Amino acid sequence: MAPVLPLVLPLQPRIRLAQGLWLLSWLLAVVGGLTLLCSGHLLVQLWHLGTFLAPSCPVAALPQVALAASAVALGTGLVGSGASRASLDAAQYPPWRGVLGPLLVAGTAGGGGLLVLALGLALALPGTLDTGLEEGLGTALANYKDTEVPGRCQAKRLLDELQLRHHCCGRHGYKDWFGIQWVSNRYLDPNDQDVVDRIQSNVEGLYLIDGVPFSCCNPHSPRPCLQSQLSDPHAHPLFDPRQPNLNLWAQGCHEVLLGHLQGLASTLGNMLAVTFLLQTLVLLGLRYLQTALEGLGGVIDGEGEAQGYLFPAGLKDMLKTAWLQGGAARRPAPEEAPPEEEPPKEGLPEA
Amino acid sequence: MALLKVKFDQKKRVKLAQGLWLMNWLSVLAGIIIFGLGLFLKIELRKRSDMMDNSESHFVPNSLIGMGVLSCVFNSLAGKICYDALDPAKYAKWKPWLKPYLAVCVLFNTVLFLVALCCFLLRGSLESTLAHGLKNGMKFYRDTDTPGRCFMKKTIDTLQIEFKCCGNNGFRDWFEIQWISNRYLDFSSKEVKDRIKSNVDGRYLVDGVPFSCCNPSSPRPCIQYQLTNNSAHYSYDHQTEELNLWVRGCRAALLSYYSNLMNSVGAVTLLVWLFEVTITIGLRYLHTALEGVANPEDPECESEGWLLEKSIPETWKAFLESVKKLGKGNQVEAEGVDAGQAPEAG
Repeated sequence: MAPVLPLVLPLQPRIRLAQGLWLLSWLLAVVGGLTLLCSGHLLVQLWHLGTFLAPSCPVAALPQVALAASAVALGTGLVGSGASRASLDAAQYPPWRGVLGPLLVAGTAGGGGLLVLALGLALALPGTLDTGLEEGLGTALANYKDTEVPGRCQAKRLLDELQLRHHCCGRHGYKDWFGIQWVSNRYLDPNDQDVVDRIQSNVEGLYLIDGVPFSCCNPHSPRPCLQSQLSDPHAHPLFDPRQPNLNLWAQGCHEVLLGHLQGLASTLGNMLAVTFLLQTLVLLGLRYLQTALEGLGGVIDGEGEAQGYLFPAGLKDMLKTAWLQGGAARRPAPEEAPPEEEPPKEGLPEA
Repeated sequence: MALLKVKFDQKKRVKLAQGLWLMNWLSVLAGIIIFGLGLFLKIELRKRSDMMDNSESHFVPNSLIGMGVLSCVFNSLAGKICYDALDPAKYAKWKPWLKPYLAVCVLFNTVLFLVALCCFLLRGSLESTLAHGLKNGMKFYRDTDTPGRCFMKKTIDTLQIEFKCCGNNGFRDWFEIQWISNRYLDFSSKEVKDRIKSNVDGRYLVDGVPFSCCNPSSPRPCIQYQLTNNSAHYSYDHQTEELNLWVRGCRAALLSYYSNLMNSVGAVTLLVWLFEVTITIGLRYLHTALEGVANPEDPECESEGWLLEKSIPETWKAFLESVKKLGKGNQVEAEGVDAGQAPEAG
């Protein structure tokens, strides 16, 4: 039963390992804390933009899993620093002996699993975001005029604030506003001939205009904002088409939001990768330290050379041992009977 | 009759010195915080100096920065003194400096208190600066092609959007100035010509506001032009319409923002001042306790610490006497120089 990946650890290398592990653990704790903050930030951003993401889109899964994974990483870092500090002091180590084994298992299984899941979600995010935003923004634009319908009355305010804050207009450009009715019927004069003409000329009876809401206006424009009659070149005679059009925001909200959220998600993904690497190193180091000290029987200052290993035996041997132990536990009665028969048998030949 | 006498044995003296050492280092941190707050305030004032005609007073943030630096210096020095106070040999070299140092500390605390007060009192001067600056800023709104003023439109638009305000005192301020540049007016149009002719100064005034005054919470699309003409818009009454535009003036909005900022900074400075006063009192007790050690060879003996050697009126009298003597001393010296030998026996 050869141990897997054994490493001989005399006293000095053991001390070096413990000290290095202490530093790495604190680094892991700091990085875990930062990842926690980053995933919290992403969660808050997604919550703010909730109206513009389709409810069927499970984007919130990534920050939640990342939150759990970074919490486990933070815990691992703190445990690692405590254990490595204790392993240098003979008086402090005994309470850690019993706890370290299960903690390592929990750290590897829980932390590792969550981190891998979070990394997978981070890679899959862009696709889900795209479809979610497409649907969500389309609904928001359609609900812009429904300021008196319960459940949709905030759509106008939220979309205006989005366009003002993120410097965007429409879904993919300002022309999206030409295709929907964003002026509510309550504010349309039924006696105005122009209004009646427009509504009658539209197949679905919608009042469509070549104008945009005020929130599309770009403050950098040198002239007061032109919001209406945008497709008519003669409506604003002094508008110079050769000048770059600074009048409205050029970008669509879809691209802006996608870029913003993807940036946050990729930062989070990078930090999760670094956390994963650090956590693996810390757990490996702790395992080697634990097994080396077990080899010495828990005596810290023992000058003897102890062997640290990952697993006490190869995978096949471990499974066999586990199976035998499990089998022994399941058949206690037959085990007791043979020893009872043994002594009478031994007695007979003697006699 | 000493003021607020406290008995100190060796252990108490040591505890006092250690506690003071810790408090001094915490106070260095507090000094850094004051420095940071002063810097933050300075940056906030600079960010919006366009709105204040670049004439705002930077007295408060500058003094906060100065106080922060001084506090760091004094408190680290005091920390060193308290650390050395436990060792008689090291303390001996600090002994002659302690009394003037304590006087400087008292002066510093007074100035810190005054600076904290100033934080609360700055509001008045800020109000007039803001009113003046915003008025001028709005006048230059249309000058987007004049070098030096071309950013005023963007600044005012972003200010109105960010602070949710319109105009100086309200949206009607925009009715009184020409905020549409002549470059974008069609002078061949009859309407434009009529308006300009009907104005005494030949300005094009409209009852309209820029887009940045629009309130997103309004249920109807924003009405920016012909605001006082009810018949120009369907189902619109300008007397009762409240949600269409921001009602607050930018002067009130900015003033409330800066007032809140200054009040918080002032409150923090007052807390730090209290902390500093506690440290100065503790240092005084340590000073007098160590002075009162009767036998320098026996550090275990008890001593007394006090704030003032005599009661307040007696101390004040003694202080006046010493000032008078200083004056008389100069006179006596002058006479001595003239006459050669002045009777100093008196």
